[in-house]
Amino acid sequence: MENQDDIELISLARGGDSVAFEELVERNYMFVYKISYKWTGKKEDAEDITQNVFMKLAGSIQTFRESSSFQTWLYRITINSAKDFAKKNARIRKKEMAFSDQQNIKEGSTSEEPSIAELIQYMITKLPHKLKETALLVFSEGMSHKEAAVVLDCAEKTVSWRVFQVKKKLKKHLESDGVKL
Amino acid sequence: MKEKDIDKILQEIKIPEPDEVVKRATIKASVGEFNRQKESLQKNIKGIDTEGRLIGRIKLFLNFLGGFAMRKSYVIAGGATAFVAILVVSLTYLSVELNRVPQVLNVPVEQDGAVVDSGIAEEPTSGPGAQYQINRERARQYALAEKLASGPRGTTSSGGAAGMHQEAYDYSYSEPQGGGGISYYKSAVPPSPSVGMGSSIHSMIAEAPMNHGGSSYSTEGYAGDDLRSYENQETGRDQFDTIDTNPVKQVKEDPVSTFSIDVDTASYAFVRRQINYGVLPQENAVRIEEMINYFDYDYVVPEDRTRPFQPTIAVYPTPWNPDSKLLHIGIKGYDIVPEEKPGSNLVFLIDVSGSMDDQDKLPLLKNSFRLLVNSLDEEDTVAIVVYAGAAGTVLEPTSVKEKGKILAAIDQMQAGGSTAGGEGIQKAYDLAEANFKKDGVNRIILATDGDFNVGIYDDEELKSYIDRKRKSGIFLSVLGFGQGNYNDALMQKLAQNGNGNASYIDNLNEARKVLVDEAGSTLFTIARDVKLQIEFNPKLIAEYRLIGYESRMLKREDFNNDKVDAGDIGSGHTVTAIYEIIPVGSKGKLVDDLRYGSKEKEGAESELSNSEYAFLKIRYKLPDSEKSELITTPVSKVNEYTQLAQVPADVRFAASVAAFGQVLRGGTYTDQFTYDDIIKLAESTVGDDKFGYRHEFLGLVRLAKAIE
Repeated sequence: MENQDDIELISLARGGDSVAFEELVERNYMFVYKISYKWTGKKEDAEDITQNVFMKLAGSIQTFRESSSFQTWLYRITINSAKDFAKKNARIRKKEMAFSDQQNIKEGSTSEEPSIAELIQYMITKLPHKLKETALLVFSEGMSHKEAAVVLDCAEKTVSWRVFQVKKKLKKHLESDGVKL
Repeated sequence: MKEKDIDKILQEIKIPEPDEVVKRATIKASVGEFNRQKESLQKNIKGIDTEGRLIGRIKLFLNFLGGFAMRKSYVIAGGATAFVAILVVSLTYLSVELNRVPQVLNVPVEQDGAVVDSGIAEEPTSGPGAQYQINRERARQYALAEKLASGPRGTTSSGGAAGMHQEAYDYSYSEPQGGGGISYYKSAVPPSPSVGMGSSIHSMIAEAPMNHGGSSYSTEGYAGDDLRSYENQETGRDQFDTIDTNPVKQVKEDPVSTFSIDVDTASYAFVRRQINYGVLPQENAVRIEEMINYFDYDYVVPEDRTRPFQPTIAVYPTPWNPDSKLLHIGIKGYDIVPEEKPGSNLVFLIDVSGSMDDQDKLPLLKNSFRLLVNSLDEEDTVAIVVYAGAAGTVLEPTSVKEKGKILAAIDQMQAGGSTAGGEGIQKAYDLAEANFKKDGVNRIILATDGDFNVGIYDDEELKSYIDRKRKSGIFLSVLGFGQGNYNDALMQKLAQNGNGNASYIDNLNEARKVLVDEAGSTLFTIARDVKLQIEFNPKLIAEYRLIGYESRMLKREDFNNDKVDAGDIGSGHTVTAIYEIIPVGSKGKLVDDLRYGSKEKEGAESELSNSEYAFLKIRYKLPDSEKSELITTPVSKVNEYTQLAQVPADVRFAASVAAFGQVLRGGTYTDQFTYDDIIKLAESTVGDDKFGYRHEFLGLVRLAKAIE
């Protein structure tokens, strides 16, 4: 996905060219939005995260080093932003809960039965962060364990182990919901 | 279930198209931020040339109040008046915000909601701008709610996000998720006058051009009383981990005590500062081992670096308890002789966020680093990374030959900029890696008041990042500045994970001590993962307790496990540990014998068991080795002094510091021992005291007595 244009835009942006930076944001908006959506499962949250990502990018593009891949970098910022967002969000929710007891925890759930895909997606969004980021990169983004390890800055073995954990958990919970794969 | 299945299933998920209006707003906002950051970075690198920009700055501030309210940014430039004006405005703003929050939390703002708030003079906007404002508004609520909900940063665990939802699906997962189990306490910092060090800095550093161009904090210029009390009120939340004093152990039940060395000195400097302010420090700020280790002791120096230290042992009557004895263990690291000094590759990672704009923070920090640079060799290199709104390299790795360039870069840093995260710490590690000196010292020196907005948001994650980097041979030292917002707990953890040491710099004298006089120990590690294990002889010793080192205790089995991390020791460093031991048959015993306790086996009955109090083992790794070495020494009657007066002065002085620390922590075990007793004990032991540290200690004890 990373191409010559991005690299050129980055180097222009690093020189302070705001038009190039605008173009860079435009080009990568969907990329970031999609990851964010997969992380939260909510359009509005994904949009907010996306905005945070580009705000951060604005602050740090001048210090970006070409030695690492832009896409890898973007993945990292996005995942960090998503985690950060979730953390803040959770605090807000706790506050909200304190005011009104009855808050539907499964937000976004409808009266209809969710599809298996929705169920899995939902379960993935509820995984602990380290498993979640791994699941997102390996399953949703289709990365190899090696590629994911680069983004997550950990050993390939760690990724494989986490993938194994994710599968174990998904299987257990799907079975308890009466779904067989 | 196969990966492919999940792949396929997940690809079924339809991702809704994002809202075009939001998208445009995001693009607009980030380009705006891009331009602002560009300006801010240039400001940091170039400095500000004229006062003429003042008006522009204030305008900018008013703009930013509308859009980026929670960030304290840009504002620091300008004169003293500007600073006052700004504080007043932000105070008003803050109070408006705080009043507003409960409603905000009750009624979440809808994405398509028309009105967001009426409390602030925000320009009404429409179209894309309005959407953008709504998004920003939401971010602001989060920031505020975070502030309200969590108090000091770092108290919530990273697992929080998932936590709410795990009721539905119970995922047990074993990787650590944040700082669970750590509790922070707020310190009782009284409103007190600004540190009066401005003048001393000026007199000590002749060439110190503290202010240049139009930067505002011209020494005491702004120190009005109102301002100070505002600041204390706002920021009196230094964070310390709870310390539970080590308990008394029975030798029969628990004959072995294991701990990691601690060469930090931060606690003493913090305690000193508090007492000089006229308050006794909170108990959790007092780490006795750090107070003892603050001082240099004249222990036997090892001869070569292959056996980097040698223990000095003494057993003598406890000054505060006639029925017990103290076991003193002192070690001094091998002192690197100058021609062997390896080259240094240092990266300064400096917090220039708005909160650093106090006289005892950035200005003191700059002077401290000047001292350090002046003490380096020509072959050493220095790079500087700053972080605040933007993380930026202010100085690429530069040889100390070009000292002028380095000093100029230090001069030009100024506080200001938002608290949003940059990529500071990664940037610093990148630079250190790029310039890695094999066989040399590769170290990042982080200087901050404790707010770690360095690009990695989760404290746990930050720690594990540093831990990983430590394995690559780059160490981390942490220098703490200022008070009121000082996050001691996190700094300790970072330094421990990064094989570094944490120091607290409260004045320039301390900076000189840490960065120049002790540069060897701060910079050159001679042994890593140093652990002590001591086995007491049940025939002679009934009970024991270790004074201090509460946060450094290790499990018995960790001693021989080279994978377990422990403290490092630097060149010329001294480390002291003191046990209070109660001999068998003494009436000072605190724990009763068990009625049905098994008769101890009289195994290995020999001369040893009649003459040895204990057996000391020290494990350490040489800097370039992953395998530990072992040093053992018996503690026997040969090491014993029967009269306190015969005990070497250094050892007695250490005992007086230990007594002071314990009294400050409530004096559970020191009985009737008073400040006067401590003074009496210490007075005769100050020796030649080249730097006056011991005299200063005496002064502190006297002051503490007066306060109480």
